[in-house]
Amino acid sequence: MPDFSPEDNKLALKVVFYGPALSGKTTNLMQLHSLLNPERKGELMVLETRDDRTLFFDMLPIGLRSRSGLDLRLKLYTVPGQVQHDSTRKAVLSRADGVVFVADSQIAQQDNNAIAFGNLEDNLDKVGLDIDTVPMVVQFNKRDLPNVVEETELQGRWAGTPWAPLSMASALKGEGVIETFRVLLDRLYTVIDSEFDLAGRHDIDRTTFIRRLSASHGGDDA
Amino acid sequence: MRNFEDDPALADLLTPNQIQRLSEGLSALCREPVLITEQRLNESVPVEFNLETIGWLSGGASASEREAAAGLVSFLMLFVAKYRLAANLHHDTTEASYAELQRQNAALKASEARYRELSDQLQQQVDEQVAVIRQTQQELYESARLRSVGHLAAGVAHEINNPVGFISSNLRVARDYVDNLEPLLPDTADNRDMLGDFSDLLSESIEGTDRIARIVADLKTFASIDQADNALCDLNSLLLSAIHLVQTEYDHNLTIIESLGELPRIPGHPSRLSQTLFNLLDNAAQAIGNDGRILVRTQADDAGIQVTIQDNGCGIPDSIRSQVFDAFFTTRPVGSGAGLGLTVARDTVHAHGGQLTLDSQEEAGTRVILVLPAKQGA
Repeated sequence: MPDFSPEDNKLALKVVFYGPALSGKTTNLMQLHSLLNPERKGELMVLETRDDRTLFFDMLPIGLRSRSGLDLRLKLYTVPGQVQHDSTRKAVLSRADGVVFVADSQIAQQDNNAIAFGNLEDNLDKVGLDIDTVPMVVQFNKRDLPNVVEETELQGRWAGTPWAPLSMASALKGEGVIETFRVLLDRLYTVIDSEFDLAGRHDIDRTTFIRRLSASHGGDDA
Repeated sequence: MRNFEDDPALADLLTPNQIQRLSEGLSALCREPVLITEQRLNESVPVEFNLETIGWLSGGASASEREAAAGLVSFLMLFVAKYRLAANLHHDTTEASYAELQRQNAALKASEARYRELSDQLQQQVDEQVAVIRQTQQELYESARLRSVGHLAAGVAHEINNPVGFISSNLRVARDYVDNLEPLLPDTADNRDMLGDFSDLLSESIEGTDRIARIVADLKTFASIDQADNALCDLNSLLLSAIHLVQTEYDHNLTIIESLGELPRIPGHPSRLSQTLFNLLDNAAQAIGNDGRILVRTQADDAGIQVTIQDNGCGIPDSIRSQVFDAFFTTRPVGSGAGLGLTVARDTVHAHGGQLTLDSQEEAGTRVILVLPAKQGA
């Protein structure tokens, strides 16, 4: 849930990158760290890994300050995907405002995607959130690999869900990462604006919100 | 409790001692001493971590020196905070796991208690079922025995009734013929003796066939060959049949005093009631030996029918009185009794909604009182 402290006029939001093991959650975050050039960007913290696998979480803080003086922060987290770290996943997921589900496009990984999605649903429920209402985007990563499920098939399969259309990405090559993030910002804005009246009270409309938090080094292409 | 993700303050990351050492180390590197504080001082620059100002750095020879020192502190804080965040997260998840374990433990204990209770109930049910099976087994045994007696009685009745019938009828005709022959023979002393003797022989034979017919009738009553399972019973006639059977078994040597009152007919199983009365009379007969007597009394009142069978025989010793109703308990030699007599008697009476009480004194005798309600189930 959004953490608003009126005395500092500070609003902190939390976005969690979730998904099966080795689907590219940390890669997404590293790419965002190098590609994004938002108003304010902190250090990418990569906490404790073993064999390049996330043990705790990764975190990247970004933010903007509105003309009204609102200090808006967005902390991007990844969870460890390996099955045995479920309690860590649950702790990181608690009080999330938005979720990016990073799925693996490879045909052989579809079962793992489904298991991780079920796990996300369970854990959201346990921390008091509802998968149908939390702002979320589903990204199918690793499009650059052979033996991936066709995009039309994936889009068709997910067409009836609240998360259509899906985002396609190749995080290792930096493709689709910012686009995925922008879809999330768009869905996140709807919920946050209805609670905090960002447009009315803080002069942050949807376009401003997305553009200023996802400005890239390549120029203002939002 | 603070969440692992809450932005740390300077005091969360470093102890005052560490802050002082850091200040001293930086001061040694700068041309002028620097100071790290949580409060903003004059000419200080912010020390940032995660977009958050966690402290202020003042002093130094120039603004650029302050900036450089503050940047170095921020850089160091990144690694201190990494450890702090990981440790906090580890603490949070360990606490959550422990709480979960405790919850599971409580749930397990509750379910264990439930299963123990179930197991106790199960044991009780098994005990009850065993009792039911034991009783059914015994009833089955008894009914099989009754059926075999019934078959035997039916066979005997069928095979004997006809010959006895024509023997009896022929004998009566023969006696008439003897009467007719009497005036035709010469009236001599020898002839008179012979005819008188002949007549007596026939009369005794007729008496004998009558006795056979009566025994057959008693057997039929006893086995209730010609009665439905549940019928209106005349307890007096059942009692008389049973007395005749017992007498037959003991060669008519028993002294049985009958005092039978007028009784209403009651619904019941005649064969089982007969068997009960026979068992009680048989016990009494065994108790009295050669010189005792058995008193049989029936009476009826509003409550129902009361049958008393009393003997002045050997009585039942105190030591075994509690066992006499137990199935397969017997004092008789092996082969002469199954130890079911009183058990079946009591069960039959209970099945008819009645009561059977036994009163005995060693060397003085035994009294059995059987009370049956006039209307079953009333």
